[in-house]
Amino acid sequence: MLAYLLRRLAQIVVLLFAMSLVVFFGVYAIGDPVEMLVDPNLGQEARDEAVRVLGLDRPLLEQYLTYLDGLRRGDFGRSFIYGESALRIILERAPATFELAFAAMLFAVVLGIPLGIVAGCFPDRLLGRTVLGGSILGFSLPSFWVGLMLIMCFAVYLGWLPSGGRGLTRDVLGVPLSMATLDGIQHLILPAINLGIYILSFVIRVTAAGVRETLLQDYVRYARAKGLSPRRVLFVHVLRNVLIPVVTILGLEFATVLAFSVVTESVFAWPGMGKLLIDAIGLLDRPVVVAYLLIVVAIFAVVNLIVDILYAAIDPRVRLTERTS
Amino acid sequence: MIPDSSPTAVSRGAAEGTSLGRFLRDFVESRVAVAAFVVFSTLVVLALVAPVISPQNPYDLAEISIIDGRLPPGSEGGGMTYWLGTDDQGRDMLSAILHGLRISLFVGATSGLIALVIGMALGLVSAYLGGRVDALFMRLVDFQLSVPSILVALILIALLGRGVDKVIIALIIAQWAFYARTVRGTALVEIGKEYMEAAACLALPKRRQIFRHLLPNCLAPMIVIGMIQVASAISLEATLSFLGVGLPITEPSLGLLIANGFEYMLSGRYWISVFPGLALLVLILSLNLVGDHVRDLLNPRLTR
Repeated sequence: MLAYLLRRLAQIVVLLFAMSLVVFFGVYAIGDPVEMLVDPNLGQEARDEAVRVLGLDRPLLEQYLTYLDGLRRGDFGRSFIYGESALRIILERAPATFELAFAAMLFAVVLGIPLGIVAGCFPDRLLGRTVLGGSILGFSLPSFWVGLMLIMCFAVYLGWLPSGGRGLTRDVLGVPLSMATLDGIQHLILPAINLGIYILSFVIRVTAAGVRETLLQDYVRYARAKGLSPRRVLFVHVLRNVLIPVVTILGLEFATVLAFSVVTESVFAWPGMGKLLIDAIGLLDRPVVVAYLLIVVAIFAVVNLIVDILYAAIDPRVRLTERTS
Repeated sequence: MIPDSSPTAVSRGAAEGTSLGRFLRDFVESRVAVAAFVVFSTLVVLALVAPVISPQNPYDLAEISIIDGRLPPGSEGGGMTYWLGTDDQGRDMLSAILHGLRISLFVGATSGLIALVIGMALGLVSAYLGGRVDALFMRLVDFQLSVPSILVALILIALLGRGVDKVIIALIIAQWAFYARTVRGTALVEIGKEYMEAAACLALPKRRQIFRHLLPNCLAPMIVIGMIQVASAISLEATLSFLGVGLPITEPSLGLLIANGFEYMLSGRYWISVFPGLALLVLILSLNLVGDHVRDLLNPRLTR
């Protein structure tokens, strides 16, 4: 177990190193940020000054080594646009993204598991078919389009909810949260639904498939034969086994939710990490782009590792050994 | 013995004939699938003939006038009726959508097909050679599939910059792994079959064994994955363009049209965003429905 953990952690470090190499050299090949940053009327001297301050006049390899040295000390470089530490800018935006992701997952679980049970119990009735058919829509509709429709219906025409922004936040343990104020919750509802629809469809399908399969198992038949009430059979005997894959899916899909927050945040002007990335790509703010990608890939790798470990903890049939190939 | 008329080729052709007929019969049984297929084909045809049938050329500045800007659907102006309204530049939305459909389909289909060819070649070689090559490719595939394709595409766009060719490259790299994994699974089953053993016994060159004998028998599942992947490529391109990091403004795909109308939607001018959105929706849904149905038909576990 310990050897497995160490090997996985070593893999993550190698992966991040490779990513930093690819992303750094790749990102530095595009565009000239000086063009964006310096007023073209200012002339050559100002441009040279900007190049020198940003360190763009030194050889690429030296820039990379400086960057790596910075990484070692937790310094991801300074944003060209904001002039602040890229890491700090990203971490400042992180609570908004995590709050949104959490709200989206909550929405998906609270709605998805009951709907999945219904669809799994009555796959041939109209209700079950509608739920399963609807979940296909959730997979195939482009997320930004759903966001637009939500804004159009609930913000523009009905006027029930705000169309963008984060609303009032209140500090909880030093972290600003929208969930702590009524205005913030109103701002959170539409983005959370938008981001949660994809994972909602996933939860519905996994739950429904699990319920259908489990209902045919011998132990369920036995529980029924014993005379247990249908409700007890469903909620105790069936659901407990169905929830294992659902938990795994939720863990694994957390990464997808983080990635799709890029889209949702842009549609709803939610001031999180994803919107920061899109802005940074547009403004050629290289340090922020590189730092964002490194941080997100690190989060992905760690989440995958945690899910693998949890999976082994929940399901004793899984053994954590490296595949030998 | 002439290698070209090897027994596998003959028996394969015969089997395909009957199973193709059965497949078509099964396919037309589902009304939803047929309807989706008709809708999708219509969209493809409309996109192909867009320059001919669209009421105006939306990107010829001589044909549009800014006075007609933001007219609601059904308005008259410029000697024609704007059935779907006009955008902020006075462009007829119907014409813009037809042209956008063309660009979206082109980017989606091109990237999907190239990714299919690359993914299939790598998957087949990986399955056939096994060992270290297989382990290397599959590690790469595992890693890539663990990262959502939207993020892979965003990383690549950040690396490559914008432009049609770059978006297509990003979409190819974001997709090849799906094809590679699927075809590898199929190929591993096929390699165990007798015709592959026969080909190996005849000491045919490896390339011939892989591409003439193995490949045709792995095609069916690839068609399904292909349809669903093209749908997701179209959706991905629209998303990138909507975010402003996809196609340049000179290649207005459906995603760009939607993005262009977004700011006007908040003031109640819904048509600039909603109609391109509907076109995109119908395109993606019809392709997905056809793909889903074909997958069910080809899935031996669901055979009735």
